[in-house]
Amino acid sequence: MRITRNRCARAIAGTAILALTLAACGGSASDSAGGSTTSQTTHGPPTLHLAIGGESEEGFDPTLGWGRYGSPLFQSTLLQRDADLNIVPDLATDYEVSEDGLTWTVQLRTDAVFTDGTPVTAADVAYTFTTAATQGGLTDVTGLDSAVATDEHTVELRLTEPRSAFINRLVSLGIVPEHAHGDGYTSAPVGSGPYRLVDWQRGQQMTVERNPDYYGEAPEFERVVFVFSDEDATLAAARAGEVHVASVPAALATHTIPGMELLSVESIDNRAISFPAVPDEGALSETGAPIGNDVTADTAIREAVSTAVDRQALVDGILEGFGSPATGPVDGAPWDEPSVEITDADPARAGELLEEAGWLPGADGIREKDGLRAQFDLVYPASDSLRQGLAVSVADMAAEVGIEATPVGASWEEIEQRMHTDAVLFGWGSHDPTEMYNLYHSSQAGVGYWNPGYYGNPAVDAHLDAAMTATDQDTANEAWRAAQLDSDGGGFSTDYPWVWLVNLDHTYFVDECLDLGDLQIEPHGHGWPITAGISSWRWTC
Amino acid sequence: MDLLNEAPGPSSGAPPRPGDQPAAIDRPGPAHTAAVARTLFGRLVRLLSLLLAVTLAAFVLVSASPVDPVRAYVGAEARSLSPEQLQQIEDRWGLDEPLSGRFTAWASNVAQGDLGVSQIYDQPVAQVITERLPATLSLMLIAWVLSGLLGFGLGLLAGVYRGGWVDRIFSWWAYTLASAPTFWVGLVLLYVFSVSLQWTPVCCAAPIGTLLGDATLLERLHHLALPAITLSLIGVAPTLLHTRQATIEVMESDHVRFARSQGERLPGLVLHRVVRNAAGPAIMVQFAGVGELFGGSVLAEQVFTYPGLGQATTQAALRQDIPLLLGITLVTAVIVFFGNALGDLLHRWSDPRIRTVSS
Repeated sequence: MRITRNRCARAIAGTAILALTLAACGGSASDSAGGSTTSQTTHGPPTLHLAIGGESEEGFDPTLGWGRYGSPLFQSTLLQRDADLNIVPDLATDYEVSEDGLTWTVQLRTDAVFTDGTPVTAADVAYTFTTAATQGGLTDVTGLDSAVATDEHTVELRLTEPRSAFINRLVSLGIVPEHAHGDGYTSAPVGSGPYRLVDWQRGQQMTVERNPDYYGEAPEFERVVFVFSDEDATLAAARAGEVHVASVPAALATHTIPGMELLSVESIDNRAISFPAVPDEGALSETGAPIGNDVTADTAIREAVSTAVDRQALVDGILEGFGSPATGPVDGAPWDEPSVEITDADPARAGELLEEAGWLPGADGIREKDGLRAQFDLVYPASDSLRQGLAVSVADMAAEVGIEATPVGASWEEIEQRMHTDAVLFGWGSHDPTEMYNLYHSSQAGVGYWNPGYYGNPAVDAHLDAAMTATDQDTANEAWRAAQLDSDGGGFSTDYPWVWLVNLDHTYFVDECLDLGDLQIEPHGHGWPITAGISSWRWTC
Repeated sequence: MDLLNEAPGPSSGAPPRPGDQPAAIDRPGPAHTAAVARTLFGRLVRLLSLLLAVTLAAFVLVSASPVDPVRAYVGAEARSLSPEQLQQIEDRWGLDEPLSGRFTAWASNVAQGDLGVSQIYDQPVAQVITERLPATLSLMLIAWVLSGLLGFGLGLLAGVYRGGWVDRIFSWWAYTLASAPTFWVGLVLLYVFSVSLQWTPVCCAAPIGTLLGDATLLERLHHLALPAITLSLIGVAPTLLHTRQATIEVMESDHVRFARSQGERLPGLVLHRVVRNAAGPAIMVQFAGVGELFGGSVLAEQVFTYPGLGQATTQAALRQDIPLLLGITLVTAVIVFFGNALGDLLHRWSDPRIRTVSS
């Protein structure tokens, strides 16, 4: 281990820092002799130091949204997703959904206890879901009508409408004890998870230790310290050998750090262009924003952009190679339709598509149809340099086939006004297929940032509705896939309301001695999601 | 921060103001006590009106910001939350009420000693501030003392050896620092001392993995060192330049010329004839700089992941946590006010001419 100490020897120079440094080194040396700095020992795994961000400023209350990605650490969830995103049991041993899809009956294991020694009961589960549904936090349980404990270990969750994706609440909502959930819970959480909170110094670090009463497999690491440093300090800490895992942006991942390996984790953290799919007929959205664009309403334009774009070039040029070309919104997830194929980097084919649709080259090389120039604005959030890079590159690629896409940087407030009339570069990516429903279902047109292009296709709507109302996950996944490309050759992948560009990889520097096992494809959000499998991390030195 | 810098400019002396009766030291007896009471009362009124003005201005500015607090709170999560859920969050924070109502409600709670609850930390604002204030105060105090001593000492040297190489090096250094952004200086120092030389830690107020309260005083100082030095380097420049200017003026004054002609030589000449006269501007600048020092600590704490009030300020501003932001504004306004008041008093004490002018 290269962690701490030994640097006292180097601190020999006549600066103002010297006195403090020498004094402090004296302090820490005596401290580690006392055993609190375990990282030097050669026997057994060390205290793990992780700089992966993800501090939850408002504390560790799952009913407010803590732990919806990665591991909630202190609490456990009813179900979990394994490395392939398949559902596996956790607190729940089994669950079933009623014929009408409205009632979910969940059986709990009997051996789970909270860290204060009380058993986890169905009443606690019911309380957790009821509270989360009304609390106004970051976890969305608004589809819940009521949650009722029918006996000690059975709970019934009743929904307002059938919703197969409700399973993601069972995966992401950590169960809290009803009797200990009050003021102060957020900074002193009680739960049944693999770790318990030892100490939290807001804004800098958090120490957790193994929960001896955890019902599952005991994690290998007795103690884990999470350091909440910003990007530069994180990289500095990794270089100084003070952390075992450091989450770094792709731009900084080109560095090499001795003793650490670069880990590039696939994600469905993706970037895509939304196109207004309806012509401009003077309609306004509920918030008063204009709707429609005559150019992008033509599917040929959208398909031509998708065909002209060289996605691999975007990955290499803009993402520094840390990513992959995107074919759809949910690449690699169990509900992804693998047979969706998109033609890519083929300007000739794009040109043919445009010719067939009547878009012919004008005097300045930009195509026209009935006096309408093939021009649209491509809006991106001005603060996001990655999306700016993508927008500018896409504009160049589109220009080659005679489409003028004008990159425009704007604030989110402006984008909200323009997103129904202009093409916009969005980022998505979730472990919850509800996102696909929101992006493509006609009922979600103009709701929040969902379906900003007012796309609607009755066949797609039918598949998405079938997926939502399915009572088992396999049927749901089949319907999700059919929405992308069904047996008739239809589906939203042929309509191009969204043109998917790239999936980002999330980059981490990981100590050579640390084995993180199989990793999930990560959702939108870099850092904390990597903790999903923290219980099975191993030390190999 | 200019609003708060009500102290008189360096070496100019305060013009007499109505209601600004300083403690007239030469006048003992009941008249004296009354004058002190009047001064204190005047100051108190000024402090209260200042606090009202500052918080009102902060409130209006924050409310006028185009950032939507709910959006700032949910961040990238906006994509997965339904409109109903977003409405729930708005209701929890009471954002539907009109602006004027929110401010008066806040102000009357403050008058009763309740600063409200921070939205981002889900903790009482008073608790957030008391948890973080000690870290920031110790950082600022060390930086303030360091920059004061360094700035005054070097300024004195530069002024005495005006035009010489000492002067040129120090002045160049001061101008460079004065124009260098704090976070940039911080990053450079972080890279040199923490990453390359590894003399100082890269983050936090205690070693990674140490529990709260387990860190020794020396470890704390070790972690404090680099942020404090960064901050003091920035603070050195104005004190150095003002001291230099004052020293040059004093060195050319009649009494110094007279002392020279009497045969007094350099170290003694400076110590006995110059230091006290040159100290006035340095004290003023140093105390008036408390506000800027706080601004610098916001940046330094960000760079070094040092968990003080500065870090909380950044979070509160970025995420539109109005109760927390107003609470911090109150506390800093008080600190800056007392910094200026103290500077005013010390200036009078060190420079007898000011006292005569205002009485």
